[in-house]
Amino acid sequence: MADRRFSVRHLPGVSGIALITFVVLYTPVLILVIYAFNAGPVIGRWEGFSLRWFTAALENAAFRNAARNSLIVASVAGLVATLCATLAALATTRGRRFRGEGGIYLVLNQPLLVPEIVLAVALMILLAQIKQATGYHGLGWLIIAHSTFCIPFAYMPIRARLEGMDLTLETAAMDLYASRFYTFRRVTLPLMAPGVLAGFMLAFVISLDNVVVSTFVKSPGQETLPTYLMGELRRNLSSEIYAISALLLFASVAVVAASWLITRRKP
Amino acid sequence: MLEVQSLSKTFGIGASAYHALRAVDVTIAEGEFFTLLGPSGCGKTTLLRLIAGFEQPTAGRLVLDERDIAAIPPNRRPVNTVFQNYALFPHLSVAQNVGFGLEAQRRPATEVKARVAEMLDLVQMGHLRDRRSSELSGGQQQRVALARALAPKPRILLLDEPLSALDLKLRKDMQTELKRLQQETGLTFIFVTHDQDEALTMSDRIAVMEGGRLQQVATPRTLYDDPANRFVAGFIGDTNFLQGEARGGSVTLAGLPPAPLAGANARSGPVTVLVRPEHVVIGHSVPQALQVEGRVERLVFSGTDTHVHLRLGQGETLVARTQNSLHSGTALEQGAAVNAFLPLEALRLLPDEAAHG
Repeated sequence: MADRRFSVRHLPGVSGIALITFVVLYTPVLILVIYAFNAGPVIGRWEGFSLRWFTAALENAAFRNAARNSLIVASVAGLVATLCATLAALATTRGRRFRGEGGIYLVLNQPLLVPEIVLAVALMILLAQIKQATGYHGLGWLIIAHSTFCIPFAYMPIRARLEGMDLTLETAAMDLYASRFYTFRRVTLPLMAPGVLAGFMLAFVISLDNVVVSTFVKSPGQETLPTYLMGELRRNLSSEIYAISALLLFASVAVVAASWLITRRKP
Repeated sequence: MLEVQSLSKTFGIGASAYHALRAVDVTIAEGEFFTLLGPSGCGKTTLLRLIAGFEQPTAGRLVLDERDIAAIPPNRRPVNTVFQNYALFPHLSVAQNVGFGLEAQRRPATEVKARVAEMLDLVQMGHLRDRRSSELSGGQQQRVALARALAPKPRILLLDEPLSALDLKLRKDMQTELKRLQQETGLTFIFVTHDQDEALTMSDRIAVMEGGRLQQVATPRTLYDDPANRFVAGFIGDTNFLQGEARGGSVTLAGLPPAPLAGANARSGPVTVLVRPEHVVIGHSVPQALQVEGRVERLVFSGTDTHVHLRLGQGETLVARTQNSLHSGTALEQGAAVNAFLPLEALRLLPDEAAHG
């Protein structure tokens, strides 16, 4: 007798629906990636394999500038968000329960609760005032804005890692004459490190492809990769945009895959 | 010498308060193998955690070398723990695990290295010094956990059910090993277990605990031969409890002639008499014994012994344990009527529990 335990796979039509879902989700992406390698300029007419659009993109100064901005913002905002998320995760899993702990979750998950467009408009109004007052129009504002909504994404894997760790290990370290700080440095930190790294990578990717907040917060003339793509689309639909999109896709997939591989290792 | 003085621990407050430990008093001698024995929830682990410093007592004192250590945090107490799940650091090698306590104390590297080598030799783990702890078997992890706890030369070693995760064969080997280590190092061991066999074979003294109180603190022999109360008698080994009546210096069990028993002088009224199954004799008469008649209700074979369950004339049950030998004489049959003999010197009068509250 075969294994008769309930499995959703045995329901009629499930594999069909799953297949359709995959096709709908990935066909457009696949077409985009294929046409990024098209020799001709027209979508829908394949003229042979070529890397000319990638070359064109990499020689495009505006693209390079937008890519640089995106990488800077994603790296720094990712770091800031990871630092905040790490401290928050330690406080919520290791510290004593404290008054207003519920409030911490409201703060942490604000970006998930508040619609992004609302956050973007709010940030724009606030930061516009400050920009005018300070006269600073650099990337700093984008970094601050991105840090806020990256925190919950960094927080989740870190918290999961800390909750999966055996608390006896820290008790054992204390038993063996380790101070609180020594215990953190030699036991807690090394064991939570994969979660921290995964959190950073998630935050990085979330920041990298953000459009809404970036559009509202960026100063005139400033572009990140996604906002640059939006602008280009409005002017002309060239295969170069496909190549740039493909590059962005490869970068995201690489980072997410790496993050998945790291978290898969058990504590 | 560790003196536990009126130590209490209460978790929670008000109506939901849980009294894990109720005014425990005990003195643990230097170099003693001292065991805390009891069922789960009896307070033995709480007492161990208080000594380690992982919990703060609600009341009472913990005096080690004439100093009250109750308020000292665990990382400044000269006691180390072997944890139930070993709690080895998975990201460190065997040698780094063993050296952890010394490095946390900022001892010089040469001293750490020498001491780690010495400890790994002691537990015969030198050949695996560079392994990750996650690559070790249960028995090997156990040895590393021991070496790690011994390395900083604690005044007292605490062991929290360290053998419970091992299979039977390995557990027997580790019992011998632990006893050897304790004798070689001359260190005071405080060992927590719920396994009475383990406690009886390894300990110098055992504290039997129940309901957050010490029921009896004594050598294994005394606990077994002279249990202080019904709980201890029932928890350590198998026992027959017989109801009787004390009057004029002797005890009368139902339907039997009065028998003079030690301690009967001071008592009158209903009493409980204990007899261990291996002291009950079946089939041949012995001098100075009470004779009872019964019917064999059940025979349980357990390798070296057979447990004979008798139904006595008054409806009470009596279990006897007879050794299986090549020539056991007449084999007992279920349903057969037999005479059983209870040697007077094997009968123990259970102390009056009402008098102790």
